[in-house]
Amino acid sequence: MTEKNFPFPFNMIEGMMPMFPMIAVMGWMIVLISLLVGIFALSPAQATFLSDAKAVREGAAAGSAFVQANVAGHVIEAWVPQFKFLGLGLMLAAITVALGTIAQRLRRMGQVISSQVPADLRPAMPPIPTRVRVFQLSTMMGLMILLAALIIGIVLAAGVVPAYWNRSIANELNPAEPGSALLAQLAVVSSFAAWLDPLRMAGMAFLFTGIILALMVIIGTLRLQANMLVNFYRQASQRG
Amino acid sequence: MTTTQPQSPTSGWQLRVFPLFTLLGWVLILVSFLIGLFVLAPAAASYWGGNAKAVRDAADAGSALLGQLQTLNVIPRWLEPLTFLGVASFMLGIALEFSTIPSLLRNRGQVLSATFPLIVKLGGK
Repeated sequence: MTEKNFPFPFNMIEGMMPMFPMIAVMGWMIVLISLLVGIFALSPAQATFLSDAKAVREGAAAGSAFVQANVAGHVIEAWVPQFKFLGLGLMLAAITVALGTIAQRLRRMGQVISSQVPADLRPAMPPIPTRVRVFQLSTMMGLMILLAALIIGIVLAAGVVPAYWNRSIANELNPAEPGSALLAQLAVVSSFAAWLDPLRMAGMAFLFTGIILALMVIIGTLRLQANMLVNFYRQASQRG
Repeated sequence: MTTTQPQSPTSGWQLRVFPLFTLLGWVLILVSFLIGLFVLAPAAASYWGGNAKAVRDAADAGSALLGQLQTLNVIPRWLEPLTFLGVASFMLGIALEFSTIPSLLRNRGQVLSATFPLIVKLGGK
């Protein structure tokens, strides 16, 4: 297999590697959008909901401004944190890809120097380290977990979250009895963050692992090339 | 200009230590995920989904319901910092790895300055 002929998904990853500044900008834009949603949608919704006495806002009927504001707040909080972490994940992935590009350039530099060495003293070109494939897969895995978390957040934000909160708190939600559909919805609404937040962090852990492995590749390449040059020096010096 | 005998790069202590922090990061994040999945999520689903508001509000001291409420409020107070300690462990590992690169580049400079004249001298042969 030549270095230009990688199997899927590595060919896709290798093709994306030069685009790392764009990936980083995209991640930053996602985090910026999250900020704007917080400023222009979540904050006004919370301000509207908390603009009157507890008895008034909890007694408000479905369709009222209070209930709408409460729904908007809960819906945003279901998907925006996942969206924000996807942005952070893309930025970490951009760092990994940038490190991978540095490793690629180091390898090419080694090839150029090696080509200037006399053929009988020229060391064999080492194969691409397995760690390269592992850090690429780890980065993809991290991004897929963050994307899955965002999809779960969107599904919740489009389904059970508005379905539960689009009701009068005092007249419909509070009187709900065990076994009712409303309490079943409340169970989902109240518990998803407990496992979804750590799942996001697991996605981040894969991305950090990708960076760590990419750095190991760079460090390993620098050490290997230095050792090859030292060996060449010894052999060439003996030849005189 | 005289050149000294080029030396192979030495491996710094950072290269021996950073895998421990990477492992620690994984352990802490996985522990927080498992506690969230198997302790907090079932407790939240049971507390909020299994009891009417009137029952939850009337829970007495020492009752199972208050125990669940304590679990739901106490564990996240230390679990979130624990998760972030995991993130910090990964970052420390990354910083330690980065810290080895300057000495490798310095060594590369020394090795190249010693070998370059030989490459030029023998390169045409």
